[in-house]
Amino acid sequence: MSGDAKSKRGLGEVSAGLVQYSVENLVPFGPIHPALKEPEYFKLVIEGERIVDIIPRIGYVHRGLEKAAERRPWVQNIYMFERTCGICSFVHSITYVQAIEGLLLHKLPERAKYIRLIVAELERIHSHLLWVGLMGHWAGFDTLFMWIWKDRELILDVVEAIAGNRVHKSLATIAGVKRDIPESLKPTIIERMKYIAGRVYFYKDIVDTESTLLVRTKGIGKISADRVETLCAVGPIVRAAGIPRDVRRDAPYAAYGDVPMDVVTKSGVDIHNLMQLRLDEIIVSANMITYALNHMPSGEIKVRVPPVIPKGESASHSEAPRGELFYFVKSNGTKTPDRVKIRTPTLANLPSSLEMLKGHTLADVPVVLTGVDPCFGCMDRLSFHDVDSNRKWTWSGEQLRQYGIQYYSKVNPR
Amino acid sequence: MIAQILQALVFPGILFTVILGFIFEWLERKTMARMQGRIGPLVAGPAGVLQPLADFLKLLFKEEIVPAFADKTVFRFAPGLFFLAPLVSMLFVPVTGPKAVASFSMDLLFIIFILAYATFVVAVLSYSSASSFTTVASGRLVLQYVSYEIPLVISIVTAAIFTGTLSIQEIVVAQSSWWNIIWMPFSFVVYVIALLAELEKPPFDIPSAKTEIVAGWLTEFSGRALAFLKLSKELGLVFGASLAVALFLGGPLGPISQTNIPDGVFYTAYFLIKIFAVGLLIFVARTALARLRIADAAVLFWKLLLPLTLAQAFFILMVGA
Repeated sequence: MSGDAKSKRGLGEVSAGLVQYSVENLVPFGPIHPALKEPEYFKLVIEGERIVDIIPRIGYVHRGLEKAAERRPWVQNIYMFERTCGICSFVHSITYVQAIEGLLLHKLPERAKYIRLIVAELERIHSHLLWVGLMGHWAGFDTLFMWIWKDRELILDVVEAIAGNRVHKSLATIAGVKRDIPESLKPTIIERMKYIAGRVYFYKDIVDTESTLLVRTKGIGKISADRVETLCAVGPIVRAAGIPRDVRRDAPYAAYGDVPMDVVTKSGVDIHNLMQLRLDEIIVSANMITYALNHMPSGEIKVRVPPVIPKGESASHSEAPRGELFYFVKSNGTKTPDRVKIRTPTLANLPSSLEMLKGHTLADVPVVLTGVDPCFGCMDRLSFHDVDSNRKWTWSGEQLRQYGIQYYSKVNPR
Repeated sequence: MIAQILQALVFPGILFTVILGFIFEWLERKTMARMQGRIGPLVAGPAGVLQPLADFLKLLFKEEIVPAFADKTVFRFAPGLFFLAPLVSMLFVPVTGPKAVASFSMDLLFIIFILAYATFVVAVLSYSSASSFTTVASGRLVLQYVSYEIPLVISIVTAAIFTGTLSIQEIVVAQSSWWNIIWMPFSFVVYVIALLAELEKPPFDIPSAKTEIVAGWLTEFSGRALAFLKLSKELGLVFGASLAVALFLGGPLGPISQTNIPDGVFYTAYFLIKIFAVGLLIFVARTALARLRIADAAVLFWKLLLPLTLAQAFFILMVGA
């Protein structure tokens, strides 16, 4: 096919930094692609099957969440931010309310702390199971996918029993949680945790021994611990590189300070280790949930707070299943926030995942690109620029707004 | 004459093969589903057995889109050419008895030629649709083909060497007392593995890897063409299993009871049992394995399976002749 034909269909010439690539070598990956559950576009520069470079283009699911937050009351925003992500929804809502709680003087009830921990860990289990299953799917091993997702249903059932919803729990509220975990549910949850841990040992065995899967995962997507640190990766990637970094242990929130936990680390990043690490973390989470249920204090689950949040700025962070999640909240003493800023783990992990991909073949793209468990829906709020091109500049919010107006008047002239 | 035409068109010819194709697809989906803890097709017909037919008919009525940059002539006609390959080959495989519908003295060579023909029709129609995904897919397809073809052909030819004939019918008849698989188990194993590659089933679904290149060479096809291409792949499975049965598992031959039930009924039943057994083997393998990369597949075929088939062929040459 001629380059002309391709450029007619919108691929065009591309450049990453100072290097120009011809269209002949480009394979588009996304924004609509079976391997991606959310729209995101990667231009793969290939030589035969080998990937030379990869140029991301993010922002397909920019939903204007941060702007929308400025027009809604503090409490309504909890439910909106919960919808930032369809998988790790609860951790978004608790990180947001934690930031607000930083501005309040009210003390969070002990029982609410434990309930937050239990639901957040249930969410981690279901998120990790989802990812390991999908990894099987991406590597062409659908059987693993089907088995794991069947087990994941058990966790979702527990979440539904606790919160009334499977995905968007709507459980967190400012200075507390909205629903209690009834005593009658305790034995069921503990039993399920035991079952899930047993299944996870089985999956660990598969991941370690299934030879066709090992070929696809072992030694694929390598990145050194140094580069991981330089590129500011977070979460499972950092831990797989052997750096024991986990917000749950380093800066405990909710009841994490009271519940014993191990930080799982592996000897180096590759897809196999990432799978093992996440499976190990499921077992840790299951143990934490069991411990928390057995040691949960009784008492109130929430404190009443006024609708107006005092003036000030506050930040909070937590360990989402994908890594460190960061919320910044600024209040000007009214019923709505002045500014909310979210930094999701996917954005922090994207540079590392692109680095992991270079030098591998086209067949490794789905496996490696999704190895960081990307959640593009969470990430798309600001576009970023490649630092390798040595172009650095700062823009104020107003300049950014002007740029947007100019850009769209060019793209879509009236 | 009329009997022969009916044999070619209805039983055990084209219609029978197509029905077997649908049943194989149903069996594949059902086996996979049960192994994966799912239910599988359920609604159309008893236990969903009509689901593949329903899917086929649905696709027939769908809009057909031809990409603007496609080579339109090839894009239109190549699916038909691909569809012919397994149908024609099936006529040379004995089903109802030791005799096939069509045969000549060296039809095994013809069958080997058709195997190559089917792959290259796919490569050509893949290129004709002129999209990035299909271009990568046809590259992978040809690379995979050069990896598995030689082990496949040698394993087929081993059976011919052993029986001293190039006619499928005569190979079947020669197995009336002992099946070939007893003397050449490795040839059978390599044949089944190469068949997985030929049919693009996991772990060799590299040219149609869903999560990498969408639907591989099928990406740009829709409507009727897609329906027939999908059916052709199933027919390829039927033919591959039938050939395995004919070459290694004694074809349709087996013990016959001396009643007034015609012999053909027994033979057809044996044939069906044997091809379903080979089919099940393939379905279990495809469910239990993950997809390889193209380089790993080439290494597997060239470094492991080719020496294995050569050793087997050498053994047969020494012992059998």
